[in-house]
Amino acid sequence: MSDLAHRELQLPAIALVLAAAAAGGAVYYSDTLFKEAQRQLAQQESQLRDARTRLQRSGDEKEVIVRYLGGYHELQRAGFAGDEQRINWLDGLRLANERVDLFGVDYQISSQAPYAHASELKPGDIALNQSVMTVRFRLLHEEDLLRFFNTLQDAGAGMFTIDECAMKRTDTTGVIRYQPNLAAECKLSWITAKPRRVENQP
Amino acid sequence: MADKILICVSAVQVTAALCRRRQLVDCTTFQNDEAGLAAFDEYLAPHAGLPAYLMVDVVEEDYRFEMLPHAFGADRRDLVQRKLKQHYRNTPYVAAWLLGRDKSKRRDDRYLFSALTNPNLLAPWLQAVSVRGMAVAGIFLLPIVGATLFETLRIKAANLLLVSQQSGGLRLTFFRDGQFRLSRLTRGDGGRAGDRARFITDEISNTRVYLHALRTTRLDEQLTLLLLDRNDTLVEATRAIARDNPSLECIRLGRRELSSRLKIAEAVLELSPEAIYLQLLAIRTPACNLAPSNVTVGFRRLQLRLAIYAAAGVLALVGAAWSGVNLWQAADAHAQKIEAARQTALLQAQYREATRQFPAAPTSARNLKRTVEIAQQLREGVRTPELFMRVVSAALESTPGIVISGLTWKYGAGEADAGSGTRHTAAAASAPPGVPPGRRQSGVIEGEIKPFRGDYRAAVATINAFAAQLARDPAVADARIVKLPLNVDPALTLAGNTLDNRELPGAADFKVVVVLKPNL
Repeated sequence: MSDLAHRELQLPAIALVLAAAAAGGAVYYSDTLFKEAQRQLAQQESQLRDARTRLQRSGDEKEVIVRYLGGYHELQRAGFAGDEQRINWLDGLRLANERVDLFGVDYQISSQAPYAHASELKPGDIALNQSVMTVRFRLLHEEDLLRFFNTLQDAGAGMFTIDECAMKRTDTTGVIRYQPNLAAECKLSWITAKPRRVENQP
Repeated sequence: MADKILICVSAVQVTAALCRRRQLVDCTTFQNDEAGLAAFDEYLAPHAGLPAYLMVDVVEEDYRFEMLPHAFGADRRDLVQRKLKQHYRNTPYVAAWLLGRDKSKRRDDRYLFSALTNPNLLAPWLQAVSVRGMAVAGIFLLPIVGATLFETLRIKAANLLLVSQQSGGLRLTFFRDGQFRLSRLTRGDGGRAGDRARFITDEISNTRVYLHALRTTRLDEQLTLLLLDRNDTLVEATRAIARDNPSLECIRLGRRELSSRLKIAEAVLELSPEAIYLQLLAIRTPACNLAPSNVTVGFRRLQLRLAIYAAAGVLALVGAAWSGVNLWQAADAHAQKIEAARQTALLQAQYREATRQFPAAPTSARNLKRTVEIAQQLREGVRTPELFMRVVSAALESTPGIVISGLTWKYGAGEADAGSGTRHTAAAASAPPGVPPGRRQSGVIEGEIKPFRGDYRAAVATINAFAAQLARDPAVADARIVKLPLNVDPALTLAGNTLDNRELPGAADFKVVVVLKPNL
């Protein structure tokens, strides 16, 4: 193509490129606005559905509150619902040690972490956390182990599960009659439940 | 603002007309001489950007009808070019018009070859146009432009003779079945200036004789005469012709009719005899273009430029329309969102009103319920070593001679760790459906045979019996020995001394891994 043709076609070509760029830019920008508006609408409609459902079920909700509020307060007192109550746990350990006549309990509590098996319980908006406590104590007899845990549970210091326990027979060649025969080391998970966010509370 | 300029060159004068939206808006004539050319050049100056359509009305024209073998593409092009060169060696202004296929067996292609045989007539005027940088769209012969009259005026006649007075003389063009067949331009009126009817009648007769000689029509054949009378000066002549020639059907199109049917202003019609044909050229561009490609290159570039501008315009329009639809939809969605927000706020207010009747609670009803349910599930899921210890006790009762030195219990994923020095064992039995994999009770029993006096066979038998007893318990899924007093694994090295004193007590310790069934 000659230079003349190049010169003649330069301006139309620039106009075409500018028109394409302007059209593309306008379409892209308006499409972005449209998608954002759609997203916001979907979000708002979801909130509307929730609000409608909540209003429709407000009667049921009242019934649920009446039915479960007492149980929830009990769990709060027991240290399961709400924040961790480590002092209660230690009080429980002390009480169990005294009642079972053990020789003292060594304990070590790790930092709080999400409960490992939370997904099995489908907690929804409830955050389940655990603190692993390792306890070491000595026993006269194997049954003392079970008595210790039963006593700890009855103490109402909180909710725990026993994950592991190891018992070893200790050297009993001495002549003292009342002395521990077994050394035990157990791992407990103290579990607490707390709502993730405060919903519209009545 | 005109969009193209139409120029008709005859031997006497040149007519230039400005055209806007297929309609002549102005018409100017120039004498075909030096002065006229200079005036024409000045006239073009303000219209230099417009494309020019040239039409020629001269006697130096030629038409030939020929049959060529049917061909396509390059073959057809070569064939046609060869014929054109053969017929017209001295002019670049030639054209071939494919009229159709012949009805004979060979079905040859019927062509009309036409040419302006004297290019010098056009040269100065074309030069003036080119110098102004105007794009030449085409060069057409006036009779060929006249062929478009049929479609424009919707005239139906088997044999039609179109007669019009042009600046160069009387133009007679014959059409058969709507197709151009012959055209003549007669100069002057043969000394019968006072008797137009007679002059036209004579020329019609001459044309008919010529057509008869060419075997195009017979003399007695019905002929329709179409007189283009732009000045309304042929009213009497038309009557006289019709009276003298009964075989002729005379149709006269006067100024008003021409003006209304061709949509041309009467004032413009009056300016030049070529105005009628220029208007036809404005309405429809014939396919038979005499201009060689080097003349029309500027027009092709102009068309390309316009096409690119049009594409840019279309793109911009599409973009604007698309964006408009998007914005409209976005505005609609926004309006819906506002309405939904209003309804949500209303429902929330109603809900808040309803919840005033609720008892005070630290969290939502759903959370209250779920927390209580989770606590219940956790309580039900708590395991203690009690069952495991009962299983071991039951096995010990039926297997005397075994003393337990250690017991490890685990409830969770995987088995209790048997520690180092144990044999590698296969994975635990798979969990039944519905039970989380790996969450089960398991344990390791560490013990020894007492008393032990070096009888490994008896010791191993006792341990095996103990493991078998454990395995028989309904709560046990698997019980296996992971350590024996004497390691008889063929994969390991075994060393000792047969002179070891069997009476001296030694250690016969072992380890057994027990896995309880799931859901226990």
